[in-house]
Amino acid sequence: MIVAAAFTAWLGAAVIVLSDGRRALAIGLALTAAAFSALAWAGGEHLAAAAIFVGGGAAAVLRSQTGDDVWGVMPPGSTPRLILSLAGGLLALWIATSLMTGPGAPARFAALSVLGLMGARILTETKPPALLTALSALALSVAMVSGMSGAGAGPSPYIAAAVVALGVSVVHAAGPDGA
Amino acid sequence: MPSLALLAPVALPLAAGGLTAALGLAGRRPGRGIAGAGAWAALLALFALWIPVRSSQELNLGPLGFGAGFDLRLDGVAFAFGLVILVPAAVLLTLQPRSWQEGTVAAVGVAAAMLAVEAGGVLLTALAGGTAATLAVIQLDIEDIRAPRPPWGVMLAAWLALSWAGGILQVVGGTAVYAAVPVNALTAPVFSLLAAAALMASGLFPWRGWTAQLWSRPSLRAAGMAVVTLYPLGFYLLVRAYEMGDGRYPQPIFGVALAWLGALVALGAAVRSQAVATRRSYLGEVIPGFGGFVLMAIALGTTVGLVAGLVMLATIAVLAACLPLLPDRPGPASLLAIVAAAGLPPGLAFGARVVGLEATFEAGDFLGLIGIAGIAAWVISMVAAARAIGLPPGRGRPATETFPRVALVLAALTVVAGPALPVLVSAVAIPAQVDVMPAAAGALGGGLISVATHQADHPALTHIAPFLLLGAIAYGIAGLVGVPGRSGRTEPAPPGPATEGAASPLKTLRPPLFTMPGSVALKKLRRQVRRATVPEQYRSIVNPRSLELAAAGGRPLLWLAGLVALAYAVNR
Amino acid sequence: MEPELAIALPAAGSACAAMLKTRPKAAVVSAASLGLAGVAAIVVYAPGSTSEQLGFAFSVSAESRALVIAAAAALALVVALAPLLVERATLLTWGLAGLSGMVAIAAATSIEIVILVVLALAALQAAAPGKRPFATRLRGPVLAATLLAVAAAAARSDGPSILSRLAAVALVAGLFAALGAMPYIHEFDAEERTATSPVPWMAFIGPVMVLAVLTQARALVPSEGAAVGAMMIALGLINMLWGSVASWRTEGGAAAWHYSFMADWGLALCGLGLAIADGRRAAVLVLLGIVLSRLPLYLWSRQALREKRPNDRPINLLASAMLAGAAPFAGFAARVLLLRGATQLYWPLALVIGLGLLLWLPPSLRLGRSLGLPRGRQAWGVGIALAVNAAIGLYPQPFLSLAGL
Repeated sequence: MIVAAAFTAWLGAAVIVLSDGRRALAIGLALTAAAFSALAWAGGEHLAAAAIFVGGGAAAVLRSQTGDDVWGVMPPGSTPRLILSLAGGLLALWIATSLMTGPGAPARFAALSVLGLMGARILTETKPPALLTALSALALSVAMVSGMSGAGAGPSPYIAAAVVALGVSVVHAAGPDGA
Repeated sequence: MPSLALLAPVALPLAAGGLTAALGLAGRRPGRGIAGAGAWAALLALFALWIPVRSSQELNLGPLGFGAGFDLRLDGVAFAFGLVILVPAAVLLTLQPRSWQEGTVAAVGVAAAMLAVEAGGVLLTALAGGTAATLAVIQLDIEDIRAPRPPWGVMLAAWLALSWAGGILQVVGGTAVYAAVPVNALTAPVFSLLAAAALMASGLFPWRGWTAQLWSRPSLRAAGMAVVTLYPLGFYLLVRAYEMGDGRYPQPIFGVALAWLGALVALGAAVRSQAVATRRSYLGEVIPGFGGFVLMAIALGTTVGLVAGLVMLATIAVLAACLPLLPDRPGPASLLAIVAAAGLPPGLAFGARVVGLEATFEAGDFLGLIGIAGIAAWVISMVAAARAIGLPPGRGRPATETFPRVALVLAALTVVAGPALPVLVSAVAIPAQVDVMPAAAGALGGGLISVATHQADHPALTHIAPFLLLGAIAYGIAGLVGVPGRSGRTEPAPPGPATEGAASPLKTLRPPLFTMPGSVALKKLRRQVRRATVPEQYRSIVNPRSLELAAAGGRPLLWLAGLVALAYAVNR
Repeated sequence: MEPELAIALPAAGSACAAMLKTRPKAAVVSAASLGLAGVAAIVVYAPGSTSEQLGFAFSVSAESRALVIAAAAALALVVALAPLLVERATLLTWGLAGLSGMVAIAAATSIEIVILVVLALAALQAAAPGKRPFATRLRGPVLAATLLAVAAAAARSDGPSILSRLAAVALVAGLFAALGAMPYIHEFDAEERTATSPVPWMAFIGPVMVLAVLTQARALVPSEGAAVGAMMIALGLINMLWGSVASWRTEGGAAAWHYSFMADWGLALCGLGLAIADGRRAAVLVLLGIVLSRLPLYLWSRQALREKRPNDRPINLLASAMLAGAAPFAGFAARVLLLRGATQLYWPLALVIGLGLLLWLPPSLRLGRSLGLPRGRQAWGVGIALAVNAAIGLYPQPFLSLAGL
């Protein structure tokens, strides 16, 4: 179940990378949030899991209500994004399982893959809805990193991440390319 | 007297500057009186503090936070240098008119310079000296931003170098307090830094430095104050270095090199001054020339040399007050100033130079050659002085800032003070020398009449006073009617509305005594280097604009490359 | 409870100012009151003590507290001397939001909280109306957040030693990316409002953020202190060189100011990289100079830059001296400490830094002139900024004591 959750998190991130429409972005974010929530729950962080689920879920719902009402999965010219999703996933998998040792490899893979893909998405994207969705997922993955510490960071980073993910989803870009 | 009074020589000009600024901001015209009064009060305070005790007084007010403590010390050196700064500063601030901004900056600059010489340690001196330099540059720019001034970068470099030297002293020796630095902490590299700082701070180079360039400014208000507050500070560092090294520099070669440099500075100034086109340009070379002699004498490493250097520095102080007050026109004031500067008997400059040159011969061996170079420089500068009397006056400057009578009095004072050389030596120079350089028994002495060195006794009063008498008789008989500058051998300049003397450069009818071999080629080379540009076909290789766009364009690819490079550099 | 109040009250003040923007007077009064209350909370807070009253642990170090107070003072100065009431309300909206974020960063007990606050601030800033595209504004801070998170992940995992080395690299790169320093310079638009430009990352939030991240770095990569220090010194020197030369040679006046922040940061990062007390003291003095003097002067230079009317009045010359780090200003004391610290570590480094310090002069003369002729409130502001900087330079001990150094 943990491994499935980890791959689901990657899948969610990959969907965010590959999509431009609000429906697919919302689903990607929801998948990622649900996977993170499951991983946190499996790690015994129940409050953290709930926070991630609520924050991520609410952010996904908000995302599904703003932006172009289309799926927009893999629009023309998405080949580099597809390669990024696959290569990023593989790289994260190698780092989480081979380079890094010790227990918690699925959580590491989930956190690193989402972190890397969302970072890359934000650095290469220009449309605010996709950027804000990636930002929400990035915030959630940052909280997952805190779970990698042996002592456990407690629920505070998860709660903070949920608040940020939710807050980012209500943001409306007012710049020259604002949504 | 409570030790807090040691703050007075610093605080009084500072308060005067503050008051000037406050009145200026309030829309009043504070005038020159406040700043002048501050400097005079500081001078009085200096006397009041030093004369009753005539020994070191200290004040420690705790750490300042950047490694230096607020430690003040008034000893013989601080007193001597305090006089060198405050006397001309008081004269210039009292007489020359300044805007309230200039007055404020000048008064605070005097306070900073006083703090530099009263500071108990290297770092506080660096901070205060740096402040004086900053304020001098600002004052010069306020007066005329296009006119020549000391390069700010060199000034900053000087005081940063001193800061670094102070930092090294603290790291190596545990302290940078002058009186407490362990002798072995003043290593050759530290001294090199300190000497470099000193040379840059005072512009002691064989070529035409800032002290000479300042005299080509349209106005000499700020120039005078810059010389007064900055020029002595470099020498101050060289004198304090003796204290840190227990009376010597870390290697004898430093003394020899600095003394040679001093001789070259004096020679350079002399050579330039015999070829100048105007009297103002000649006067611009007076202080650098004197500075060369001072450096030569101080660097010898002997008590006699140090004392002679300090007396010459005192002479510079009087000339620094006199020269900015001189109008750019012929007359008794100009004539007497040139006489005073040339070091003719019975002047103070004459006596001090004699003692200084004798110190080189007393030091013996190789240093004797430096004395010969010094004599050559003196001879050339005398010829240059004779030539300068007949030169056109110069570019002319505002009449309101010139005071020929006061300049005349100051120049006359320098000339007639020759017989008083022993008094100056006993009252000012020897107490300073005793603080930094332990003297061998009988090395230096004298009283109110004579100066006694290792090998000679100079009865200054009895030998020099007759010259004074002869001069007075000659003056009485001949008067000053035949001053060559008035003889019509120069092309007259159209007088400007607000300027005194010539308003434009005049052609001289007196050729230079000689031209330096290679100087023409050097000028040509310099011109060519200045004109050198990157050939057109190579300009596209480095395009700064494109480089800026690439670096600051916020491109993720470049960021990624930066990250990879960093990871590679750290992990290779 | 003080850290919580210091976060919440300025945030509430910012929200008030934003909501009441149609009534500027009410906006200014309410925001200023809440902001002052927040600052009072941080002033009375005992540095180092932990507060856990809301379930989150908050602790502010003395250094961060000093810089937060300095930032609050700078904000007060800029707001009080702003010429228009509307402008004051806008300044308060953004300034108090930044201040709240700064305290949150300073009070965070884990690096993840720092990263999340950075992301929140980045989103807030990117969403505001501005000249640069939304995506461009997000890039730098997001890269920083990603790198810092990767650093935290690598540092917390078991594995070969290269992992902790990579964590150190990502940490340092993340810091520089957050600041927008070389080689991660954020795109700058001279016409953009200061609040939405990269300048707040360097001059307002940056100082506290760097101190907070470095505090966390000690716990994250304890074995890589030397590598972190070496990278910070190397990149610091590059920033010194680039910042000063670019500030001198660039065509745009506002860009010159932007680069000058970079040069100052180079100095501060060198000091922090030295990892000895003198280096840290030097860095804190440079950062105080950035927050209390360079930033306000930059804000006041904007009008003159737009009107292209440089000036050479005494106040411009004094400002140049201050920006160049000449005595008696804070920059000089910082340079003295830096040279001493570098000498303790490796004297050729002091030589390199010493030579680099001379590069500050030409751009500073340019920047000083770019202030134009400050009049009225602005002249008072410049005077106060100069006086404060001179006070720090002449007697830095109280300021360093406030920072626990």
